[in-house]
Amino acid sequence: MSPARSLQQGTRYRVVVAATAAITVPALVTGCSVANSSHSDAASPDTLRIVLPQEPPTLEPCDASLTSTGVVVRSNITEPLVERNADTGYLEPKLADSWEQTSPTVWTFRIHPGVTFSDGSAFDAEDAAFSIDRTVNSSIGCDVDGYVFGDDALVVKAVDPMTVTVETPAADPILPLRISFVEMVPTTTSSDDKVRDPIGTGPYKVDYWDHGQRLSLVRNDTYWGEAPEYARAIYQWRTEGSVRAAMVVNGEAELATSLGPEDGAGDLGAAYPNNETTALRIDGTQAPLDDYRVREAIDLSVNRPGIVKALFQGLGEPAGQLVGSSIVGFDPDLEPTEYDPDRAARLVAEAKADGVPVDRQIRLIGRTGQFPKINETVEVIQNSLSKAGLDVKIEMMDTAAQLQYQVRPYPQSGPVMLVIQHGNQAGDAQFTVDQYMRSDGYQSYFGTPGFDAQIDAAENAVGEARQNAFADVLANEPKDVRQFAYIAHMNGVLAKSPTVAYTPNSATGDEMRLSEMTHADAPANG
Amino acid sequence: MFAFLRRRIYTSLVPLLVVLFGVFLLARLTGDPTNLYLPVSATPDQRAEFAAENGLDKPVLSQMADYLSGVAHLDFGESLRTGESAATMALRAFPATLQLAFFTMLLAIIGAVVIGCWAAYRPNSLADRISSLLSMTAASIPDFWFAITGVWIFAVVLGVLPTSGTGSALSWILPIATLLIRPLGVLTQVVRGAMVSALSAPYVRLARSKGAGDLRVVTHHALRNAAAPALTVAGDLTVGLVNGAVVVEAIFGWPGIGKLMIDAILQRDFAVLQAAVLLTAVSIFVLNILIDAGYALLDARVREKSKV
Repeated sequence: MSPARSLQQGTRYRVVVAATAAITVPALVTGCSVANSSHSDAASPDTLRIVLPQEPPTLEPCDASLTSTGVVVRSNITEPLVERNADTGYLEPKLADSWEQTSPTVWTFRIHPGVTFSDGSAFDAEDAAFSIDRTVNSSIGCDVDGYVFGDDALVVKAVDPMTVTVETPAADPILPLRISFVEMVPTTTSSDDKVRDPIGTGPYKVDYWDHGQRLSLVRNDTYWGEAPEYARAIYQWRTEGSVRAAMVVNGEAELATSLGPEDGAGDLGAAYPNNETTALRIDGTQAPLDDYRVREAIDLSVNRPGIVKALFQGLGEPAGQLVGSSIVGFDPDLEPTEYDPDRAARLVAEAKADGVPVDRQIRLIGRTGQFPKINETVEVIQNSLSKAGLDVKIEMMDTAAQLQYQVRPYPQSGPVMLVIQHGNQAGDAQFTVDQYMRSDGYQSYFGTPGFDAQIDAAENAVGEARQNAFADVLANEPKDVRQFAYIAHMNGVLAKSPTVAYTPNSATGDEMRLSEMTHADAPANG
Repeated sequence: MFAFLRRRIYTSLVPLLVVLFGVFLLARLTGDPTNLYLPVSATPDQRAEFAAENGLDKPVLSQMADYLSGVAHLDFGESLRTGESAATMALRAFPATLQLAFFTMLLAIIGAVVIGCWAAYRPNSLADRISSLLSMTAASIPDFWFAITGVWIFAVVLGVLPTSGTGSALSWILPIATLLIRPLGVLTQVVRGAMVSALSAPYVRLARSKGAGDLRVVTHHALRNAAAPALTVAGDLTVGLVNGAVVVEAIFGWPGIGKLMIDAILQRDFAVLQAAVLLTAVSIFVLNILIDAGYALLDARVREKSKV
């Protein structure tokens, strides 16, 4: 090597080292600060840190029936006129002091005086009328509209500053329950577009939302009711349940939701019956699933007690209907179908002998992560169905793909069974059967005119008659239609720090009220 | 040198275009985003309006033409979810991934050089066994399992590290450790192999005969010649890191491009997914050019070959 070449190489070597240092040193200096991370989530006795499985897709109040939106928005940022007590099932006053049916098709609500929005403006009947109109009659496509009101248009009037009337096309005995889903917003809210930063009357208001990372709510100092104990709530999201649980165990969060029994929350885990029921929804419009015996065989092949015990670790109950015990219409006498693989095999063989193409492959579609142990649940069911003589292929999909099979219009793709998880947030079976059991329900494959008529009759009933009529509807579904093989009434699991006092209830998954959370050593509000 | 780089740029443009078209088409194959953005009760008219507003009612080739036309004007579309510019979202998330990749590779290179040189210089020593263990670990441990186990041991059992997030300097440790396994293992083996060859070369024996000490022989003679293959592998591993950050970012809630991609896929947020993938592809393209330039800088034979 010539001296010149050696010098050249040495110089180059030093240049590389210098360049590396030039890049490294500033990076090291700023190293502790992660780019795209502008807010801290440090612990504070006055701050609740809550970790969710996913980021809310939106904070639009009229989409609050979406679980991941409602859990943040409902009763925290915005409030309804009336709200349902998840423990008793009764409606209670919120922004309305009282309500009454003033004619067969008109309900009148009296507004609570002295309520203000978080922007300081006063809440009155104009705002209430506007909010109902915007949710039900506008074209912005509110989730609450489809979930609660269907195609019905309402005539809403602010009679005076403290009175609002709602007129329905036909008598509606549960209109106040429907109205409990309408979150109140000021008349300054856009009627043409959904909002991302809502103004409400709730005990908290939006502080900041770092999309993809965290969302912070701060106490609304002008709140009309009792001030909540915590000054701030910071929501984060982690897809892995074990990480969510670990955050609470490790003191990085006070609450973690949507955990499975094996996520490692340990003593900090709290199980509670939630609104969710899992089931197989069977497309009875396609052979071989259009044969009642085949659908019955599928129902008989589901080993509910085994699934609940072995896979859900006992957190849940075998289900014989699509609603839980807290719902009007729940039939306490309705037993889950017994697991009977021999009878299932006989029914399939019978159907085959009659020319039903039971060898045709059926797609068993599940949504990844929909509930803990869904993969194993689907595998267990597929195994049982194979033993019964059916050819079943498992397909696990993400939410977007699975939704194509969950909601009308369905793709034309041969016989399908879909694993569904339904949570009735409203407390009345109508919101279940309308969507899942009517012939033309948004999330129903098929039905019968006779069964639709039963549903119609139940929906017009009130009080005890309504309870009994819906119980009959739910009891008759397996006999008249058999679109479902119910699996289990599920339990929710959340992890809770010992520093927080909070009792989850059946509505916690849909509406987690921050004002009900207190320091563990302080008396609970309300 | 410039001719060599020019040729590398031209040859890299083809895969970049393949990525551009491929991601666009694959994203559309994942299905219609309508059900994610409209309520279950959406009427056919509302569905049609949503499709028209977002250009989803056109044939795929027409959609692609619109997209390419936008890209030509540096308009990468808007997020379906947030309404924000897709390019802004991708550019905001990318530095966090770069930080992660940079520190991971820095540690991997330092670790690999120290352990690899030591293992090559003292065969069958402790360092040699560590080197073998690292390479086996790199080849066999899934990063997902390592991440979850790391959270369990260090955050839950020992309580010395945060589980996830970006709240403190300690938040870096688990994500970097998870990303570090593979590059450290692979690179250690590469450095060790290259150093074994270099240490037995005639110029090293000559240096020794001239009285050069062990450290000088390793750092000034052998390592310099072993650096070229190690640099190439390090570059490829860095490219892999930028891609591999997807799993790590999702688990640890790291606000980088990988997490943005996952979110965009799950939300069928086509514009954001395309912007994120395109930005990643361009950065990998630039990284490869830099690696080639560095390789050419270190190895005269590469420069000579480019003149042919």
